Amino acid sequence: MPANIAAFMAPANVEYLRFLPEIILIAAGTLLMLLDVVLRKQSRDIYGHLSILALAAAMAAAVFAYSSPGPAFSDMLLVDGFATFFRVLVIGVGVLTVLSSYRFLQREGAETGEYHALLLFSIAGQCVMVSANELIMIFIGLEISSISSYVLAGYLRDDKRANEAALKYFLLGSFATAFFLYGVAVVYGMTGSTYLTVIRTAISGSPAAPAPVFIGVALALMFVGLAFKVSGAPFQIWAPDVYQGAPTPVSAFLTTGPKAAAFAIFLRIFMTAFEPMARDWYPLVWGSALLSMTIGNFAALTQSNVKRLLGYSSIAHAGYVLVAVAARSHTGTAAAMFYLAAYAFMNIGAFAVVSHLSGKGERFLSVDDFAGLGVRQPGTAALLTIFLLSLIGVPLTGGFFGKFYIFKAALDSHLVWLTVLGLLNSAVAAYYYLRILVVMYMREPGEAAAELEPLPLGLRAALVIPALGTLFLGIFPAWVLDFAGKSSVLVR
Amino acid sequence: MQLWLIPVFPLLGFLLNGIFGRRFSKAAVNSIAIGSVLLSFAWVLKTLASLGDLNAAHTEQYFTWIQSGILNVGFDFTVDRLTAVMLLVVTGVGSLIHIYSIGYMAHEGGYYRFFAYLNLFMFFMLTLVLAANYLVMFVGWEGVGLCSYLLIGFYFDKRFATNAGNKAFIVNRIGDFGFSLAMFLIVVNFGSLDFGVVFTSVAGHSEATLTAIAFLLLLGACGKSAQIPLYIWLPDAMAGPTPVSALIHAATMVTAGVYMVARSAAIYTHAPAAMEAVAVVGLATAFFAATIGLAQNDIKKVFAYSTVSQLGYMFLGAGVGAFSAGIYHLVTHAFFKALLFLGAGSVIHALGGEQDVRNMGGLRKKIPWTFWTMLCASVAIAGVPPFAGFYSKDAILLAADKHAPWMYWVGVITAGMTAFYVFRAIFLAFFGQYRGKAHPHESPFVMVGPLVVLAALSLAGGKLFNVPEFLAPLFPLAKESGDIGPMLVSVAFGLAGIALAWLFYVFKPGLPDQVAATFSGLYKLIYNKYFVDEIYDAVVVNPVVGGSREVLWKGVDVAVIDGAVNGVGNRARGIGGVLKRLQSGNIRSYAAWVLLGSVVLLFVMGVMGGLR
Amino acid sequence: MNLLDIVLAIPLVGFLALLLVPRAAEGAIRAIALGFSLVAFAASLGLAFQYETIRPGEQFVTDIVWIASPNIHYHVSLDGLSLWLLILATLLTPICILISWKSIQIRIKEFFAFMLLLEFGLAGVFAAQDLFLFYVFWEVSLVPMYFLIGIWGHERRIYAALKFFLYTFAASVLMLTAIIYVYNHAGTFNYSDILAQLASGKLHFSPYQQMLLFLAFFLAFAVKVPIFPLHTWLPDAHVEAPTAGSVMLASVMLKMGTYGLVRFCLPMFPSAARACAPWIVVLAIIGILYGALVAMVQPNMKKLVAYSSVSHLGFVVLGIFSFTQIGMDGAVYQMLNHGISTGALFVLVGYLYERRHSLVIADYGGVATAAPWLSTVFMITMLASIGLPLLNNFVGEFLVLQGSAQANFRWTVAASIGVILSACYMLWLYQRVFYGETPDEVRRHVFDLKPREWAAIVPLIAMMVWMGVYSQSFLPAVRKASAHILDQTQVNVQIRVQVPGTRTEVAHAR
Repeated sequence: MPANIAAFMAPANVEYLRFLPEIILIAAGTLLMLLDVVLRKQSRDIYGHLSILALAAAMAAAVFAYSSPGPAFSDMLLVDGFATFFRVLVIGVGVLTVLSSYRFLQREGAETGEYHALLLFSIAGQCVMVSANELIMIFIGLEISSISSYVLAGYLRDDKRANEAALKYFLLGSFATAFFLYGVAVVYGMTGSTYLTVIRTAISGSPAAPAPVFIGVALALMFVGLAFKVSGAPFQIWAPDVYQGAPTPVSAFLTTGPKAAAFAIFLRIFMTAFEPMARDWYPLVWGSALLSMTIGNFAALTQSNVKRLLGYSSIAHAGYVLVAVAARSHTGTAAAMFYLAAYAFMNIGAFAVVSHLSGKGERFLSVDDFAGLGVRQPGTAALLTIFLLSLIGVPLTGGFFGKFYIFKAALDSHLVWLTVLGLLNSAVAAYYYLRILVVMYMREPGEAAAELEPLPLGLRAALVIPALGTLFLGIFPAWVLDFAGKSSVLVR
Repeated sequence: MQLWLIPVFPLLGFLLNGIFGRRFSKAAVNSIAIGSVLLSFAWVLKTLASLGDLNAAHTEQYFTWIQSGILNVGFDFTVDRLTAVMLLVVTGVGSLIHIYSIGYMAHEGGYYRFFAYLNLFMFFMLTLVLAANYLVMFVGWEGVGLCSYLLIGFYFDKRFATNAGNKAFIVNRIGDFGFSLAMFLIVVNFGSLDFGVVFTSVAGHSEATLTAIAFLLLLGACGKSAQIPLYIWLPDAMAGPTPVSALIHAATMVTAGVYMVARSAAIYTHAPAAMEAVAVVGLATAFFAATIGLAQNDIKKVFAYSTVSQLGYMFLGAGVGAFSAGIYHLVTHAFFKALLFLGAGSVIHALGGEQDVRNMGGLRKKIPWTFWTMLCASVAIAGVPPFAGFYSKDAILLAADKHAPWMYWVGVITAGMTAFYVFRAIFLAFFGQYRGKAHPHESPFVMVGPLVVLAALSLAGGKLFNVPEFLAPLFPLAKESGDIGPMLVSVAFGLAGIALAWLFYVFKPGLPDQVAATFSGLYKLIYNKYFVDEIYDAVVVNPVVGGSREVLWKGVDVAVIDGAVNGVGNRARGIGGVLKRLQSGNIRSYAAWVLLGSVVLLFVMGVMGGLR
Repeated sequence: MNLLDIVLAIPLVGFLALLLVPRAAEGAIRAIALGFSLVAFAASLGLAFQYETIRPGEQFVTDIVWIASPNIHYHVSLDGLSLWLLILATLLTPICILISWKSIQIRIKEFFAFMLLLEFGLAGVFAAQDLFLFYVFWEVSLVPMYFLIGIWGHERRIYAALKFFLYTFAASVLMLTAIIYVYNHAGTFNYSDILAQLASGKLHFSPYQQMLLFLAFFLAFAVKVPIFPLHTWLPDAHVEAPTAGSVMLASVMLKMGTYGLVRFCLPMFPSAARACAPWIVVLAIIGILYGALVAMVQPNMKKLVAYSSVSHLGFVVLGIFSFTQIGMDGAVYQMLNHGISTGALFVLVGYLYERRHSLVIADYGGVATAAPWLSTVFMITMLASIGLPLLNNFVGEFLVLQGSAQANFRWTVAASIGVILSACYMLWLYQRVFYGETPDEVRRHVFDLKPREWAAIVPLIAMMVWMGVYSQSFLPAVRKASAHILDQTQVNVQIRVQVPGTRTEVAHAR
């Protein structure tokens, strides 16, 4: 038992420092709640500005915390490169989400205070998840993140689709978390600990090691929970409905932030605690990866609703990341990290354009509504083109390098067929992304394009930053990749 | 010695007229076109004079054209006695015909274009004969084909003309297919295309190889020189202006095949089978074409088939080993056949475009110059001693007799037919009463002049230029057998043919129709040229075109391959549809799915764990 | 930073510059595009002059690290093979910009920007010496062409554009797999390193691996060439593309495929290549005859020329897989020839389209009367394309057939029939379009060449004559390169080559 009583009594200051981002976010969230009571309707944008400040501070804190890496609160948290990477990532996602929400909330006349508060809480939860080093802590983070996400998904109260989505998300989500919790329980029963490192030593082949059957079962239970959170097949079933139903900026958030955090714990648990059993669990991941890619891409082929299309595509992309997990190697972990970063950029960007185009009440969501965007707003169209090409995986974009590293890692671990099938999948995917390009540039402008309003500042930022990010990751991937590579070694 | 100047003069003429011709006056165009040809004629004479007795070939190398691996082809020219003969014929006769054209084309559109093409033809023809290796020869070979295509289709708004042009080019392509395959084989076996190298090292190679090469070359020759089975393009080629028929389709280009065979004598003499083939093809063509000639009414068609037939003689000569006799006939034929065509041209010109002998007659008085000159040509081609045709034809037939008597007899019969159909044309055109409507008038001097010169050559050319002796260093002469029997027989047949024609078309004009009536079947057959064109269309052309359209394009390409491609796409979308249906939107079924999935996983992991 | 880098940089700079120009300034846009492409061409001529023919191996080498891990370099250079192809690309871009001067009226800015981006991609493909870099350029060149077809094309442009992109993309991901696989074994993307390792035996693939890798590369290239039966994207793409698109596609893009075969498939996987050679040659010959026959019966000019490309490219493939010096030289030379003469054909068909607004052959006739110079130029181009001596294609076809004759005479016999057929479809086309009576539709609309049009076509005609008469200006460099590649294919060649699936090892030839 590494956690000694003394540590519980008085955490050292450095441990608070390591927990600073979460503290900031939660504090800010609470503040926003209070403000919401104090100043009523007027100046709705203030919440946005404040949450951006908070997030900026949190990000700074996260970076600063990395200056003195190490465990906190008797090893329940662990601030290492891995954690920092994902903290920065989810906080960044938060910033972009806020930026793309301004106009949306205005347009839909929605409460802004709670919205941003929930957003901050959810992000805080994700920060906990990614830096947690112990199953209970992970579970808590997961719940904080999820519950606020459920609410956000149904944030537009009088939108039926949103409510239905939220309900599904909530019910199925808790269903799945239950599985995860069972898993935790079983593991605890087997090994008498919830600390990942301890579990690892307990199950790695010592004579006292518990029967593999039970570990296997526990592992499967956890896998179900995590696969659900990352919308990996066969537990992707909820994703399209939710991503379609939720308010567009929220969908953007859900497909990137929580998903990234979920993958973070996925990797941390499976690459730390259960790494010794990799031989047993990687077939699961293998199958899930292939299934997710195939279902996601093929189902997307026939979608006419863009949000739903991007929903399916996000299942497919989860599949690609799962390929990296299946590689069960450091390069694989690094590749996954890189890919999630790239995906965050391009997907938020794509969703931002969608919310820009969809207009009040999100009326224009069909692919055909993109008709003539290339003529009406060449700039927006150009940016969307970058995102789509990146999603396809065309060179000089982050998406391409992401795929490249993932499949390179897969080939390193001799997953030849998974690689071939995965890449062929990406060729299939090209079709439905190209369809959007086709409509955008090669059709005459339609109603949506006609009603298009000039790009507001917030959205512009929410488009330009990801675009630059995508290109940066596409042309100078080394910087991010090196960091990911350094921090991909979870067990020292 | 600057051999290159010989072809380059006409080339310059071509470029000048081709690029600026539209702005030039007719006089300017004439002087450029004719001047260039005369210049190269003069240069030929100067060259030959200064080269003295050409017992050894004189070769000039200009630049490397293609070099790769073992292959090294230079742009080289060479002159030996054979080349000398060809050069003289081409530039000499060529000049005459150029001059004649001034008059003939005077009233035609595209005047400059005509002369540009003619010059271009001279360039390629001279390249062909000057070539020092097969590839450069092939340059000329294809080039003259191109010019023939352009000139046959000179009246390009007339469909039949352009059709004839295409036919000529494509049929020649089939021949060139053989020629080029031969070249590939030569390179593979000899490692070079230079005449010098190839012919000196022939002995070292297996007869099979040489026979293959020889046969492929023969295919090429058949295309260019209109021999069976590729003769079909030449009669149609008459769609071009008459001077073209005279220059390209009688005097020079079509004889290229004979020249090439003679040039490759070294190979053929080592490939007896191929030699035999050359002889048989030649003989068959000679006979076959002559029979068709008997029943044609278009004066140019008559001479066209006669050309095919005479070319057959040349092949026969080469085939039976008398290469020099073949070339000899090539030369004399150039004189009298060019003359016949130019004469015919003069007739057509006089009658304002009329070509059907049935609408002529009695022109003897109206256009005397034309008549007399054409008569000279006719006696020459009929092999009446001592005129040009007699010597060359006699030389060939003697050689044939030595080689295989039956060939001699077929040849003799053909000679008889030749005499008959030529004089048939003459009698129909110039004797009896005029049956046409136009008002005939004698042609201008620029046209008559060349006729006269050619007439003189047709009469005296045979005695004047004893080609076989001149070529003796290349093709040693067979020793004279004193026996003059064969010679007398062939002359007799020739005279008989003339007599018969006289009987039919002057003495008893009714007779031909009776004959035609009695042998109506046979008559129809030859009148329709044995329906060969129709057969080719039905057996080759239509199946290929139809098959490509219906089977290959609409069938394989569109239906099968593209069908498959699009099918894959649709199949993918189909799968997508199925997956979409799984997404019922019903939350209970979702929960069921999650449960099912997890059960499966648990089971799998349990089992796998258990196994370990 | 040597001249090659400059040549590569210019189009990219031009592309970025165009993005900054306001879209209203159409004249400026055209001028800038033309200017940059001309400068790029001039610079590439500089390459030709500086290139030392006698020296084998790569020249103008730049090799700097792009990404540290995995070890990816910006490594470009030229040899006798890539030099001329690169110049072909830089030559045709200004020509395409010229012919699009008036014919492109919508979204002018994007169009010319894409032209320069395309030039950048194509030039890069030929210069890249790093497998990864090669793949990057390969895909980069795909995007602008997709837009060129999709935005400025004819009626069925969208179908054609999608088909083009998906066909090529699907095939190239397999190549990407293979590239990564090679990297994981060799530890480098550096082309010459990999070959060195193969030569030294340090890097060795089992026949089975080699066969799969070869096929992965081959498929990507075969689609691009295209080799029968993977050609069906080509007619659609050509017919629907705007003239400039067709020209770039036919003249340069298809060469990416054949170039790839020569550069990668042969030296890197020699025994697999040799094992497949007979099958590939059969496909090539089918392509030659099939392409010609189908071309013969096309009612649409562009489709006709497109299928004729299938036929011509068949010769190139035949030459490559004859594994003879002559055949290889011929193949490379034929790549350039096809680029020049078929490019010119598309330009001229484009001219006709701009006048009569139809690609249907039946709508024409008697053009020779209406526009004599246009007809003359078309005649010369046609003669070049059917391989008339003293024009460029003849040299290439002759060498290819000669080479295949050394390998197997039967191949030559079959392939030579294609030469006959080429005359058939071309002459027939010419007759129907240019000869015969002139309908007034034609008489009214079809006028003769304009100065700008002359400027675009004359360079191509000049090249036809030059390459046909004096091949020595080009062949020596090619010869060096192809000889080098040929003896690389001698390295580590198994004596008896495996069928895929059997893993039995065999002794090395040396």
